[in-house]
Amino acid sequence: MGNVIKKLVIGLVVGGALVGISSALEFPFVFQMLYFGFAMLGAVVFMLLDAPPLRTMSGRKSVFALVAFYILLLCTVCIAGASFFPQFDPEDEKGKIAKILKPQIDASEKGKTEELIARAKALDEQVKALEERLNLLSGGQVVAEKPVKGPEPPPIKGSSEVDLMKVGEEQWQLMECYNCHKLKGEGGKKRGPELDNIGTLLTVDEIKEKITDPKSFMAEGFEKEWEKGMMPGKFKDLMEPADIMALASWLGTFKNTSVKTPRPIKKK
Amino acid sequence: MKTWQRSLVMACAILALFGGVAYAQTPGSPSAEFPYTGNRTAVWIVAQLHTLFGAFVLGAPIFIIISEWLGYRKQDLRYERMAKEVTKVTVILFNMTAVTGGLFIFVLLATYPQFTTWFINQFYLVFAVIYPFLFISGTIVLYMYFYTWDAWKGEKKGRHIALGVLLNLICMITMFVINGPTSFMNTPVKAEGIPVQDLLAAASLWDKIANQSWIPLNLHRIDGNVAFGGFVTGLIAAYMYMGAKTQEERAYYDWMGFVGSLIAVGATLFQPFTGLLLAYEMCDYDFSFCPYMMADQLSMFFEMQGAMIGLLFLAMNYYGWLSLKRIEGAEKVRMTILAPIVMVALPFVMVAVMNIYWIPDPMSLAFLVPLILVPFLFGRFIPMTVSARTVIKIGFLVIIVSDAIWLTPRGFVATGANMAAGLELPSDWDILASMPAKVSAMFSLVFATVVNYFVYNRAIKQGTILWGKIDFTSQFVLIFLAFISIWTMGLMGAVRSLAKKYYHTYGLMPDFTVESFTPTLSYSAWWITGITGVFFTVVSLAVFVALRSSSSKVREPESSPVPVRAK
Repeated sequence: MGNVIKKLVIGLVVGGALVGISSALEFPFVFQMLYFGFAMLGAVVFMLLDAPPLRTMSGRKSVFALVAFYILLLCTVCIAGASFFPQFDPEDEKGKIAKILKPQIDASEKGKTEELIARAKALDEQVKALEERLNLLSGGQVVAEKPVKGPEPPPIKGSSEVDLMKVGEEQWQLMECYNCHKLKGEGGKKRGPELDNIGTLLTVDEIKEKITDPKSFMAEGFEKEWEKGMMPGKFKDLMEPADIMALASWLGTFKNTSVKTPRPIKKK
Repeated sequence: MKTWQRSLVMACAILALFGGVAYAQTPGSPSAEFPYTGNRTAVWIVAQLHTLFGAFVLGAPIFIIISEWLGYRKQDLRYERMAKEVTKVTVILFNMTAVTGGLFIFVLLATYPQFTTWFINQFYLVFAVIYPFLFISGTIVLYMYFYTWDAWKGEKKGRHIALGVLLNLICMITMFVINGPTSFMNTPVKAEGIPVQDLLAAASLWDKIANQSWIPLNLHRIDGNVAFGGFVTGLIAAYMYMGAKTQEERAYYDWMGFVGSLIAVGATLFQPFTGLLLAYEMCDYDFSFCPYMMADQLSMFFEMQGAMIGLLFLAMNYYGWLSLKRIEGAEKVRMTILAPIVMVALPFVMVAVMNIYWIPDPMSLAFLVPLILVPFLFGRFIPMTVSARTVIKIGFLVIIVSDAIWLTPRGFVATGANMAAGLELPSDWDILASMPAKVSAMFSLVFATVVNYFVYNRAIKQGTILWGKIDFTSQFVLIFLAFISIWTMGLMGAVRSLAKKYYHTYGLMPDFTVESFTPTLSYSAWWITGITGVFFTVVSLAVFVALRSSSSKVREPESSPVPVRAK
C-alpha cells in the first residue's frame, strides 16, 4: 500500500508540474490534461514495477480471472479508449462525397439510359420488320400507327445562370484544397503555397492548367514538393471541366498583394 | 477434428471460392442488404476475420520451422514440442482461414456484385487458378508436415524440416500473390498523362500485382505475421500455464511464453518502420492520402494507434521486467551509464536533427548513428555503471515520454477543418506534432526496448533462470500483448481500407453506395473489438481442443525435458 501511495503522490506532483509548465507555455487545457494523464500512467507503471508478485491461480479461479481481465481490457482500453478521442462526424462528409461522385453517378445512369435506348431501337427495328412481314402477308392492309410525340423535355438550366464564383468556392471545399493551401488566412499546412495573391500572378487559364496538370507550374520555394509531385494529378479525372473552370475563375479573383504568394515558374 | 472432417470443411470452402468466382461472372446481380451491420461492415467483419486467421497460418509456419530447426540443432526437445503444439493449433486455424475466405467471397458478391465482378475479372488468373492452387498445395503440405512429424524423426528429421521450408515457401508466395489485389485497391497502376482506364486496359496481370504499395505491404505483412505468430504462441503458452497442474508443466509453458514473446518482440521492432514505408509509398502515389490519414478524417485513428503501440511497448518491456525478476543473480548485473544517458537524450536530439535533416537526407544518419552506437562502443571505457533495474526503469520513463510525444497532435479535433483556438497546439510548439517528432518517438520506443534486451541478455548469461517461477501477472501480460497487437492490426487494416476514401479501388471504381463515408473511430473500435474477440474465442477453443486434451493425458518421458532450474 505504501508503494501505491508513494507512486501516486509522485505522479500527482509530476502531473501538476506538467500542467503548470504547459499552462505557462499557453498549451490549451486538453493538452495539459494529456500530459497529466501521462504522468498518472507513469505512476501506474511504476506501481506495477514494484508490486508484489501475484499468487499462481488455477482451476475456476484462473478462468474467472481470465474472463474478468478480457472484459476489463475490451471495455476500458479498446472501446472507452477509442471513444475518448474526438470523433469525426460522417454527416460532414456524406454531402461532399455525393457532390463529388455526382458526375460519375450521372454518367453511369446515362450509360444505363443509352443502353436502354439502344435496346429500344433494336426492338423497334424488330417490330418494323414484323410489320413489313405482316403487310406482305395481308396484302398491305396493316397500317403502321404514327408514334405519338411525347411532351418536350424541360429546358436544362444553362451554366451561364449558375453563380460561377459560388461553384468555384464549393469546389475548393469539396476537393479539400485547404488541406495544403492557405487562403483568406484559413487552412494550409505549408505543403503548398498560400494563394491569396494568385490572381495577380496567373491568369484563369494558367490556374486551370495548373489544376489539370500540376507539373505545368512550380511555385518558387516549393521545388522539393514539385519534384515529389505532391499535388495530385487526379483533379482532371475527378472534376468536371466546368467545375475546374469555376475553381480557376474563383481563385483568379484573389489579388491580395499584401500576401506573399510565391511566384509560379512555368515548367511545361 | 478428424482428417476427413477437416478435408470436408476445406472442400466446402474451396467450392465456395470457385462458386463465388463463377457467380461473379453473372452480370447485373442485385446486391443484398445486410440487416443491422449494413453491407460495408458485413464485408469488414468477414474480411478482417479472414485476414487474422490468414495472418496466423502464414506467420506461424515461419515460427514453427525456426523452432523445429533450433530443436534439431540444439537437441533441445522443448523447441520440438513447442513447434508441434503450435502446428496442432495451426492445422485447426487453417480450416478457419479457408472457411472465412469462402464466406468473404460470398458476402462480397452478395453485397457488391458489380464491383466484385469487375475486381475478379481484373485478377481472374489469381482468384481462379493461382490462389486456389497455392491454397490447396499449402493445405496438402501442411497435413503432410503434421502427419509425418513422428514418422520422420532421427535421420529423417532433415527431410521433415525441408518439408517445413517448402510449406513456408508456399505460404510466403500465397501472401505475395494475394497482396497484389489488396495493394492494387489502394494504389492501382497509373502513369503521368495517360488516362487510368486506358492504362488499366493495357496493363498485364504483373503490372497490376506489382503496384507501388505491393512490396511495402509484403514487407509489413511478413514481419507482422512473424510477430503475430509469436504473440499467439505467447497466448497459447499463457493459457496452458494457467491450466498447468504441475511445476514441470509451468516450467515448460513459462519457457514457451518467453520464446514466443521474444520472437514477437523482435519482429515488432521492425513493424513501425515497414508501416512507415507503406505509408510513405502511398503518400508518394497520391499525396492526398497523407492529409486524409494524418491530419483529417483518420487522424484520430492514428492517435489511437499511438496509444496502442505505447501500451504494446510498455507491456513488452514489463514482461521483460517480470522475466528478469525470476533470474537468480540479475540484481548483480550492471551496465554502462552511457546507455541510460543516450536513451534519455535520443528523443530530443533526434527531433532536433530530423527537423533540420529530414528523411531521406543522409546527414541525419551522420548525427544519429554515432549517438546510438556510443554506449556499445565506448561503454567499456567508462568506469561508471548503473544496475540493470535502474536502466530498465529509465527505459520505462523514456517509453512514456516518447509515447506522449507520439500522441501530441496538432489539434484535438477529428479533422483539420474543425481546428479551433482552444484545441490547437501553440504555433511555437508545432514541432511536437511534426513528422520528425513522431519518427523520433517511434525510434526511441524501439531503442529503449533494444537496450532492455541487452540488459536481459546479460542477466541470462550471468544468472540462472528459474523457469516456472515467473510472477503470475506475466501470463496476463502475454494475453494483453496478443490482444493489443491483434487489435492494432485490425485498426490499421481499417485505416488501409478507409484510405481509399469513396472508392472501392482508388481512382478507378467509385463506391456509389450510401455507406461510402469515413466511419467514426468509436464505431470502428466497437467492430474491431468484436472481431478481435471472435478471433480470440476461436483461438482459445482451438487451443483447448488441440492441446488441453493431450496435456491431460500422461506425457511420455521424452516430452518432459525441462528441469525447474535451468538456464
